[in-house]
Amino acid sequence: MVNALSCFFKKKVTSDTIPVRDDEIEALGLELRREISAVFGRSLAIRELDTGSDNAAEIEINNLSNPYYDVERFGITFVASPRHADVLIVTGAVTHNMAIAARKTYDAMPSPKFVVAVGDDACDGGIFAGTYAVLGGADKIFPVDMKIPGNPPTPTQILTGLLALMRKARQA
Amino acid sequence: MTGTDRGFAAAREMASCIDNPARIQAGCNGECYVTVKEEEFGSVVSFLSAGSCVLSGLFCVEGFAPGVRFSLFYVFEKKAGILVVIRNVESRATSIARIFPSASWFERECRDGFGVEFDGAFDDRRLFLHETYPDGFHPLVKSVKNAPITPKQSVEAGGEYPFRKVSGEGVYQVPVGPVHAGIIEPGHFRFSVIGETIFNLEIRMFYKHRGIEKLAEGKRPQDCLRIAEAVSGDESVANATAFCTAVERISHTAVPDRAWYLRTILLEMERICSHLGDQAGMLVDVAFPLGANQFSVQREEVLRMNGHLTGSRFLRGMVCPGGLSRDISREQLQDLGEFIRQFQKGYRVGLKIVLSTTSVIDRFATTGVIRKNLLRPLNITGPAARASGGNVDVRVNHPYGIYETFAPSPKFLNDGDVLSRFTVKASEILDSLDLIGRLLASMPEGPVSGDFAAADGHALTLVESARGENLCWVLVRNGVVERYKVRTASFCNWLVIEHAVQGNIVPDFPVINKSLNLSYSGTDL
Repeated sequence: MVNALSCFFKKKVTSDTIPVRDDEIEALGLELRREISAVFGRSLAIRELDTGSDNAAEIEINNLSNPYYDVERFGITFVASPRHADVLIVTGAVTHNMAIAARKTYDAMPSPKFVVAVGDDACDGGIFAGTYAVLGGADKIFPVDMKIPGNPPTPTQILTGLLALMRKARQA
Repeated sequence: MTGTDRGFAAAREMASCIDNPARIQAGCNGECYVTVKEEEFGSVVSFLSAGSCVLSGLFCVEGFAPGVRFSLFYVFEKKAGILVVIRNVESRATSIARIFPSASWFERECRDGFGVEFDGAFDDRRLFLHETYPDGFHPLVKSVKNAPITPKQSVEAGGEYPFRKVSGEGVYQVPVGPVHAGIIEPGHFRFSVIGETIFNLEIRMFYKHRGIEKLAEGKRPQDCLRIAEAVSGDESVANATAFCTAVERISHTAVPDRAWYLRTILLEMERICSHLGDQAGMLVDVAFPLGANQFSVQREEVLRMNGHLTGSRFLRGMVCPGGLSRDISREQLQDLGEFIRQFQKGYRVGLKIVLSTTSVIDRFATTGVIRKNLLRPLNITGPAARASGGNVDVRVNHPYGIYETFAPSPKFLNDGDVLSRFTVKASEILDSLDLIGRLLASMPEGPVSGDFAAADGHALTLVESARGENLCWVLVRNGVVERYKVRTASFCNWLVIEHAVQGNIVPDFPVINKSLNLSYSGTDL
């Protein structure tokens, strides 16, 4: 049993060094941090929307918040409401059953807003393109500013895509 | 007696009410089939119900037998036996949902897919075809081509999905979803609440229906792997293995030993990864980030090891008909062995911290209880069942590949609460690590792929995914897939959440949900 006193005296768990930094991510993150500051001043608020993915892309997007990536330190926050979001990340082909909810989510976002399609299915419908159950990629229901292909893309690829979006936004 | 022989013997015993044993046909994979006449169907179902069998699947196939429009396949299970009762119908059938409640969603699924009506069903609402699908549209019928359709642009007034009405003094509804606040998949939860306490929950799924089953039709088995892997991202290996085993059994393909050893390692890595994610999520939901981060760090390490071994963090593109698409080198396997040893130490430390933190135990214990008497009627499997005293594990009950030799030792608990599910998952992670260690120690050399040539026929396979029993039935005709039926553990397990949350407070819903960690995409297909 752990009580407060024993916690106080024993070796701190956090003092164990867990090697959770890798140079590529650090460099990418700092670059992203600079670009976000240039475009948005402070931080980038992202709302995630799953319109019919196989859940692998969600797992990778969630992983962006684990201690290895910890993207909040680069100015990226995932927000609970589309009304708070600058960017909508869409995963999966757009199914008929999600189309109305997806449009409502997009419409609820304040302008200016960006849409990023993450994963092959969101980019162009992937293996589901042209079937009865889906409309196709995210661009079938709203404009898409950046596509990050992959099955699913890795966290690093997603960060690279967000960096490309920020550069594009700066030029626009 | 081999596992398959035991399966046949058990299935024959299940069907002892059938007058002539010669009518019971052995399938390719230890399952047995019996076609019953409409007049005897009722008594067979009553017999199976009285014999404590579980209805683990029900699906429809068009044009299975000559001169027959639809064949309904009822998959019953009891211990090692799997009995598939085939019932030929024109367009109507009697419902068995009052006897086997798990049939309710299955029947609604058949009705949407094929237009088969079930007389006497207590619930005949549409299931995976939501409001915007045109009336009279049944996508799985062969005459419907898999091509874009014109959906309704909006839901007409009065055409909304009729949720069950719960009323009474002080009862109010909390509708949640399909778009949730976190980064998770879409689904709708309709809570009826008194104060903070959940009085009733009704779930509505299938927002992500992508037409997986139809998509496989007409394709060569070799070309269906991406489809099987797309059923649910974190069950890629399990569903690919189920599909491949089916087509291998049909074509009598010999899969080399090394391929099965490696497949088993991949299956167990997938389980570890999934369970770690659940555990981290459960700890986030009870506000214990120290433990959550410990597990999410370890999970990232497993994902990276997956990438190192296979080039895919989700282990995709490895399992293929005949074995594996490529080998894993000796050096990589050595790295895996070293990783497992380090991982085990770190995991035990994290686990000890979590299980000795009173605020965590306080939130986990007695929360979201699943009673044992729900397991059989709803066909609950996997860690959710094993935490409620259910002695079910496909790897033990219907061993496939090399699980007969390398049997896992699943842990069973009886309380059925969130804490039990957390503990069962922890023990399964340690068990899987041990299993991977044993596999690495006796890894055979040799090829990783046998010659696969598609043959015609059908087979049923069961695989234990991280969430429980995944069922897969494949019918190959003229070298291409004629019907691909997949029923993941999530499809059945989802309904138990409606029972598990009753009497709990709304703020505990996230942790109860995470403790079951069900796949939306694997349910919606």
